[in-house]
Amino acid sequence: MALKGIKVVEFAGLAPGPFAGLVLADNGATVVRIDKTSSSSSSDILCRNKRSLAIDSKTQSGVIVLKRLISSSDILIDPFRPGVMERLGLGPAVFLGKDGEVGLNGRLIYARIAGFPRTGSYKDMAGHDINYLALSGILSMLPGSHDRPTFPLNLLADFAGGGLICALGIMLALFERNSSGRGQVVNVDMVSGARYVSSFPLIHALNPSTGTFAGNRGDNLLDGGAPFYSIYSCKDGACMSVGCLEPQFFATFIEHFTKALPSDFKQQSGWVPHSSAQFDRDTWPKLKSFLELGFKTHTRDEWAAVFMNTDSCAVPILTPEEANKKEIPGQFAPLPHPRVLTMSNSDIVPLPINDGTIELSPGKHTLEILRELGFTNDEYQKLIQDGAIEGSGLKSKL
Amino acid sequence: MALKGKKVIEFAGLAPAPFAGLVLSDNGASVIRVDRPSASTLDVLCRGKRSVAVNSKVPSGRELLKRLIVSSDVLIDPFRPGVMERLGLGPDVFLGKSGLNQRLVYARIVGFPRTSSYKDMAGHDLNYLAMSGVLSMLPGSAHKPNFPLNLLADFAGGGMHCVTKVLLALLERNESDRGQIVDVDMVSGTRYVSASPLIHRSNPATGRFASKRGTNLLDGGAPFYNIYLCRDGGLMTLACIEPPFFGVFIEKFIQALPGHSVLSDEWRDFPALAAQADRKLWPRLKQFLTIGFASRARHEWTDIFFETDACCVPVLTPEEAAQGFGSSDDPVKDISGPCLLNPGQHTKEVLTAELSVTEDEYERLLNDSAIGQC
Repeated sequence: MALKGIKVVEFAGLAPGPFAGLVLADNGATVVRIDKTSSSSSSDILCRNKRSLAIDSKTQSGVIVLKRLISSSDILIDPFRPGVMERLGLGPAVFLGKDGEVGLNGRLIYARIAGFPRTGSYKDMAGHDINYLALSGILSMLPGSHDRPTFPLNLLADFAGGGLICALGIMLALFERNSSGRGQVVNVDMVSGARYVSSFPLIHALNPSTGTFAGNRGDNLLDGGAPFYSIYSCKDGACMSVGCLEPQFFATFIEHFTKALPSDFKQQSGWVPHSSAQFDRDTWPKLKSFLELGFKTHTRDEWAAVFMNTDSCAVPILTPEEANKKEIPGQFAPLPHPRVLTMSNSDIVPLPINDGTIELSPGKHTLEILRELGFTNDEYQKLIQDGAIEGSGLKSKL
Repeated sequence: MALKGKKVIEFAGLAPAPFAGLVLSDNGASVIRVDRPSASTLDVLCRGKRSVAVNSKVPSGRELLKRLIVSSDVLIDPFRPGVMERLGLGPDVFLGKSGLNQRLVYARIVGFPRTSSYKDMAGHDLNYLAMSGVLSMLPGSAHKPNFPLNLLADFAGGGMHCVTKVLLALLERNESDRGQIVDVDMVSGTRYVSASPLIHRSNPATGRFASKRGTNLLDGGAPFYNIYLCRDGGLMTLACIEPPFFGVFIEKFIQALPGHSVLSDEWRDFPALAAQADRKLWPRLKQFLTIGFASRARHEWTDIFFETDACCVPVLTPEEAAQGFGSSDDPVKDISGPCLLNPGQHTKEVLTAELSVTEDEYERLLNDSAIGQC
């Protein structure tokens, strides 16, 4: 595993931080999540293979523990608003040094994930995925109803533009550290991250001459405007996805689709699509209603069978349960991806995740981690007295 | 730049491969896009790249490609399983026992999983999204979900994942001095980036995605995590999930409502603040917010909530977003001009300067139709 031996300190936060930590953990890093002592539980489900240290960073001795931990780690993930870590005495300068002064850990990769850009006028405001998506410009392009777009859960800003971008930034910094021997600050904000991931549609939208996103929202090739890149409901209410962009695939799709229609359907409609007219926008409304009505003549699975093993680019929309079964039956979380293989194991089927944990109690590993950091029993008791950590009820000893 | 000096060969393909190449190029790698001589391309993700046009159907063209790959660090293969092997350019040729470039990171991006029954079928983002299970969770109409363009499978689940793993392979190579195969399929990639909602969905006890599509906290079910229409047709997003933020929002929102014309009697006693925690009141709360937001223009609401923790910000168009919002770090702003990389634009340059192809060899390749010219 590429990150074996790499130590990560992930300050508990919402979506992007835990996902970045998960990607690192899935690639072999050991991740410690820092929780507040006041948290009795955590809703973080992206916690497999992580450990938790619960500490009160507002106490002096708590900060000392954290400094020790971070000094002996490779990566730090800071999910807080700009300035929070500095106020705790744990800002990047403390570890990476500043103005010629040596820091506590010059090799540390200090990854900071903010929502709004760190240098913008929104930087101190609270926000969530949908807000970052709103400022990115991409939300306004997403298909929806006639007067507004819909948003794909919190996937684009929190995960794609946040956690995944953060993991990418960390990899780049690790790579540079290999030659420079030095750590760096990785700055992520989810507005910029969402924009970067959305480069393709945004660049097209800003350059209407390309034609790909020149129309109004919902009228383009890839946002539901084209009948041959869309979703259709079937007889049983379940849906099929159709994505036959290329002429040869559209021709194949039309061939199989029309062949499968009941004979009385064709008679009623009177109009049959011609593959040569695929890009004739004037015929799109006719094509759309032909497909809508046609798909309703069979169930989803019947249509799935019609198009199976063809280049029609028409496949069923699976529920999460169905999709889970297809990946590895009996497993309920997506497998880490992608896979890295050598020639000798390239045919091996993916192994299931062996840790299905979706709950990591705050502070579960406090004792263990303090022991690893070399704290003595006296120091441990003092930390409890100071309120920096919670004792575990009984007189626990290191 | 982290990847300075690294050489990438990107076989021209659709979205995910060019995006992966773009990210590598943006971080200092020199990326060569391999085109077919007759190709025309709409690839806008081409900044910083060069193009070589090679006809892989002729033997000397294939030999040329081999030479290019042998001198590279990373290869991006966007084709269906088996295509590169048939060209004599499969991973075995480079990474096998007597491989020609044991340090090569061979990245393969496909749509459907390589070991699935769909592996040989054509497909696009929407299809991979469909198979991932995620599409069925996305909000939309009563009958079907909406899809976010081709962002989730092509870019997040495809290109982005490819780059992170290529980097990890390069990291490992520093120790092992060996390359590896990086296998990406966009169904699995979409699933991985969507781990959170998928895991919640598999574990209804968490409550986060336990309800029907469109009725959960983050898929439009909650009135305080939603999009609202303003008087001028502009839109505001609202995301005040935490009670303190909702409190900030509601106070300023109600304050800003222009008196009795909006707050008719039926709304005067509406317990807006308490409504957040009471699902039974959500439909009423949604109505209340809908009516309220419609009473002012987008820019007014923007000002009202600016510099507060109401989590209420405007939906910007791409043009507005490109103007920036006081930030100096915008990755898209600088490249608003169309990027034109014509197939074969750098064939001669790359061959003569980097592969030491002589003038005679170059002429022969042209005569063979092994290469094309711009």
